[in-house]
Amino acid sequence: MNCQLCQENLDAYLGGGLPAGMMTQVESHLKTCDSCKRLSEIQLLANRVIRVEKETEVDPFLVTRVLANIERLDAAGFGNAPLGAGILRPALITLSLAAAVLFGIMLGNLSRPAGNAGKIPLELALINDASLESVDILSLE
Amino acid sequence: MNENELIKLIIQGEREKFGIFVEKYQQLVFRTCMGFVHNKDDADDLTQDVFIQAYQSLPEFKMKSAFSTWLYRIAVNASLNKIRKSAGKSFIHRLESFFGSENQMTGQFPAFDTDDPENIIIKQEHSQWIQKALDSLPENQRTAIVLSKYDDLSQKEIAEIMNTTEGAVEALLQRAKKNLREKLSENVRGKNKK
Repeated sequence: MNCQLCQENLDAYLGGGLPAGMMTQVESHLKTCDSCKRLSEIQLLANRVIRVEKETEVDPFLVTRVLANIERLDAAGFGNAPLGAGILRPALITLSLAAAVLFGIMLGNLSRPAGNAGKIPLELALINDASLESVDILSLE
Repeated sequence: MNENELIKLIIQGEREKFGIFVEKYQQLVFRTCMGFVHNKDDADDLTQDVFIQAYQSLPEFKMKSAFSTWLYRIAVNASLNKIRKSAGKSFIHRLESFFGSENQMTGQFPAFDTDDPENIIIKQEHSQWIQKALDSLPENQRTAIVLSKYDDLSQKEIAEIMNTTEGAVEALLQRAKKNLREKLSENVRGKNKK
């Protein structure tokens, strides 16, 4: 058996899933090949690392933590909202924004002078620009 | 009461019934997260996030697949997102936290307690190679290997979770094992040269 074939079958060999004949071949190769033997040791170690991680227990208070969090989210208005809330909430937000913009415009208009007509003296308002003397006449004098 | 009926009740507002799902599937989700992050604290936080996300997305669950399959998908996506976010973190730092938290939790390095101190150091070093080799796999190969090795799922189940064919999963697993073997062999060769 060569190294490539041995390495391809290492996983099954370590898991005990190889046919007896193949098992013997891998075993005898491992006895003679240092690098494959080392690789099999590391693969065995990898299986142990994975096993340890798999056997680690989850936080015993996870259920309580999750339920407390979803209760908090529901209270804040995020969880499973009643039917229609998915449409209602954005609509309400849009309406509030529109009302705020409208209110801002109205407030701005209140601080603006009502109009210029009342403030302009009557004599100025009645001036006919067309009948004014040309500046050239004044310059000739 | 089956799971689909329970889901309907939760959607209608009986949120405390969601605790039944958390109780039932917590170890499954935790194991998957652990396969990606290799750290108990991170896996605990991720597991909690997965269940909260599942609760919030419950109205979108179409009940066409098993609840566990849907939960696995959320767990895989959340884990991959977490890894992408922490990609900038140094690998050594993550390993330190892994070994640190394991020691805190169990009071010993995993299964090496009978060895002498020198052996423990050597094996810790080897464990780092293993973690590094696992973490360097492309996302889809890594997902397939985690679901296979950590959750002991069949290729058919993995295919359903990853939304692909059994043949594709088989190819992914083969490529993942080959990549792992190559990366570990590189380390073995490197070590032998020293």
